[in-house]
Amino acid sequence: MKLDVTELVAGYDGRKVLNGLSVAIPPGKLTVIIGPNASGKSTLLRTMARLLKPRGGAVLLDGQPLHELPPRLVAQRLGVLPQAPLVPEGISVLDLVSRGRQPYQRWWRQWSADDETVVRQALSDADVADLADRPIEELSGGQRQRVWIAMALAQQTETLLLDEPTTFLDLAHQVDVLALMRRLQRGGRTIVAVLHDLNQAARFADHIIAMRDGEVVATGAPSNVVTADLVRQVFGLECVVVPCPVSGAPLVVPTGKE
Amino acid sequence: MTWRLLPIAAVLAAAIVASVSLGDVSVPPLEVLRSLFFGGTDYDVVVRELRLPRTILAAVAGAAFGLGGALIQAVTRNPLASPDVIGVTQGAGLAATIALTTGAFAVAPAALAGGLLAAAVVFGFGSRAGFTARRFVLAGVAVAFALRAGIEVVLTSAEVIDAQRAQIWLIGSLNGRGLEEATAIGIVLLAAAVPLAWAAWALRISSLDDDVARGLGVRPVARRYGLAALGALLAASATAQVGAVDFVALVAPQVAQRIAKTERPPLVMSALLGATLVVLADLAGRRLLAPTQLPAGVLTAAIGAPYLIYLLLRRRRA
Amino acid sequence: MSGYVKRGFVVILGAVLLGVAAVASLAIGSKAIPVHEVFDVLLHPSASEASVIVWDMRLPRTLAGIEVGLALAIAGAMMQTLTRNPIAEPRILGISAGASTGVVVAIAMFGISTLAGWIWFGLLGAALAGLLVFGIAARSRDGAHPVNLALAGAAVDAGLGSLIYGLLSIDAATFDQFRFWVVGSLAGRTPQMALQVAPFIAVGLVLAVFVARGLDALALGDDMARGLGQSVARVRIIGGTAAVLLTGAAVALAGPIAFVGLAVPHAARALVGTGHRWVLPVSALFGVVMVLSADILGRVLFPPGEVPAGVITALVGAPVLLWTVLRSGK
Repeated sequence: MKLDVTELVAGYDGRKVLNGLSVAIPPGKLTVIIGPNASGKSTLLRTMARLLKPRGGAVLLDGQPLHELPPRLVAQRLGVLPQAPLVPEGISVLDLVSRGRQPYQRWWRQWSADDETVVRQALSDADVADLADRPIEELSGGQRQRVWIAMALAQQTETLLLDEPTTFLDLAHQVDVLALMRRLQRGGRTIVAVLHDLNQAARFADHIIAMRDGEVVATGAPSNVVTADLVRQVFGLECVVVPCPVSGAPLVVPTGKE
Repeated sequence: MTWRLLPIAAVLAAAIVASVSLGDVSVPPLEVLRSLFFGGTDYDVVVRELRLPRTILAAVAGAAFGLGGALIQAVTRNPLASPDVIGVTQGAGLAATIALTTGAFAVAPAALAGGLLAAAVVFGFGSRAGFTARRFVLAGVAVAFALRAGIEVVLTSAEVIDAQRAQIWLIGSLNGRGLEEATAIGIVLLAAAVPLAWAAWALRISSLDDDVARGLGVRPVARRYGLAALGALLAASATAQVGAVDFVALVAPQVAQRIAKTERPPLVMSALLGATLVVLADLAGRRLLAPTQLPAGVLTAAIGAPYLIYLLLRRRRA
Repeated sequence: MSGYVKRGFVVILGAVLLGVAAVASLAIGSKAIPVHEVFDVLLHPSASEASVIVWDMRLPRTLAGIEVGLALAIAGAMMQTLTRNPIAEPRILGISAGASTGVVVAIAMFGISTLAGWIWFGLLGAALAGLLVFGIAARSRDGAHPVNLALAGAAVDAGLGSLIYGLLSIDAATFDQFRFWVVGSLAGRTPQMALQVAPFIAVGLVLAVFVARGLDALALGDDMARGLGQSVARVRIIGGTAAVLLTGAAVALAGPIAFVGLAVPHAARALVGTGHRWVLPVSALFGVVMVLSADILGRVLFPPGEVPAGVITALVGAPVLLWTVLRSGK
């Protein structure tokens, strides 16, 4: 499946954040969007996830304008994990993950054996099968995030968009979630995430989209994109880029401002 | 700040003169002033004995409502939190309803005690986990609903005559009341003068974030208790004398805050506006459908409810 | 799956309790009628005293209780999700007050004295109050803060209450009728009354069933609901319409019986989880049980007088409200 953004204009209330942005998401890859605060990366992701309506241009799903397709069909192909989803009081993990099956259900066909299998699979893929009967409130931040991902998996979409999935997690849980995203991509999905940490982006992404002031500054493989020049240009930060001792991916080490 | 008070004081003075001047027998405004300051006119009885006491009561009660509302709103940092909504008024109402329908107690002291008791219960629930403003308000709303249920129980089990008297009390009316009630509220206002001076100072810091306030060496929780208690006392003592005149404690501080352009309701201006509001509401209630007298509380509700809706719709994200 | 067994058991229990309450409501009163005789006269209506009491007095009253209980409980459950607020309930959000005001305006200003006329005014009042409250709730992305919503509802309730009594204070006769109606009572409801509101409640129920899964999605936040392919605006509008229809009809029939919509859905969620396909029907069953029990209790507490059902539900519901608030205020 192909996801393309052409001449996109989008924003909030009276403010345009993106003004004529075009970018393509490579299928079957793990793409990470980076950029400083207010660079428009969440706006881009939210518009691609049709949480936000474009004011101009379009997001194309296999060449068709996303916002004109029936929402239920889009939801069968494109999963979203928003930044801060609400947790209904007292809901159990199983119950929450089951709600990912919504796009496949109608009011006359509520729950099938098929749904059951998919939900079980999603729980085990996200490594939360043993938490199934626990209430969400009792879980740690990292466990919760994996449960939300499980719900998105139950939606059985080829593409998954995640808005800052590692924010509010400690380092170990961040790596957990990133590794899970990596596993899902290897399983054949297209993953797009907004991340704050440049080094994690460089380490885990196949493809990076670097943004500043609502525009795409650079796209490509981390080794091509993450350079001292780019970091200066995008973040206004002096640094040296060295190879990571573990993976060989670019590692950004700030130098300036001390 | 002070210069902004002058026009409002002038409006209040005009409202008082109008309230004394208008009625079944109209008294020209100049005659009102002559009678008030010098006496010896033909209108002395009407002005000094019939209308002035009721007008004074309206002004004093309104000032107490305004002050009480300003304090509670400032403490909870929520413009919608007023004694009407968080249980003080309902506590006074339940006690007064019981007093009126059973005849077992005098109404005013019972209402005062009821209002304070309700405030104490709300404080009790609200204070677990550090007396946060939000929790205090929610507890207040819950207690208010519980008390309203209680009022309805009493009303339905009473004789219709008693129930109707209680109902009129619950709406708030100044009919047949005067200096005696005004004095009772005035004493509380006077006694509150010193704590109010403290409050005006304390509020400056209370509007800060709790952690910031602690950093400045203040104990924010204890201070909130004090300020809210003072607000509850003022509102309850006014309610005890004139009944639940709705929304004055909510509207007056909000309007004052808009005029003064401060980040919290200003005390003196809230008092002046509260007084003006009740004087005008009572006047309108007397004259609008004359000879039928509408209780002042109906008028304040008629003004207050739309204003509240405006407030709610205007505040986009609270 | 054990979850299904447990939920199924809860539904059966609710249905059994409902049956018991309905029979008790037919049997108990100032003149007690033995249960076997109740069944007897139901099957073979006659001119006997028992038959007249059951058919003309207690049956309409019981039907009204069933309608009111299920309408208010379902409306409450939906409002809690639509506003994302654990204390949402027809009375607390001021929607009952809106309906009451509509009815009082119908009586006092238009001289309308039949339920068929009241119901339209009740619905209009409920709709206006509902628009206001849901409008406020929808203004922020994750729903209005519970504090502000509760305050808004309380203020609307208090304000409209004052206006109602202002209208009534002029007229003692209307006041005497109204003070009983305003707390909510099932006494003196006729079969026609029960029939007249039935279509409104039926439409409300159909809409509720239709929108149940949308509510499940909405409970996860607007973004998530969109991600799951729901149209958030549509769920809000259909759900809000259903809640208003149910509340307006119930209030026009029996007055604003308080707190049924609060206590029952919370209990239902504790029993069957948060999915609306279970919460709504279970709430309906237990809502009926609560209203009928309150009505029966009101008949036997202080004979020969009657305590209106709304007073009993208020006395039970007020502590539940406090408990909910204190728990959610953490």
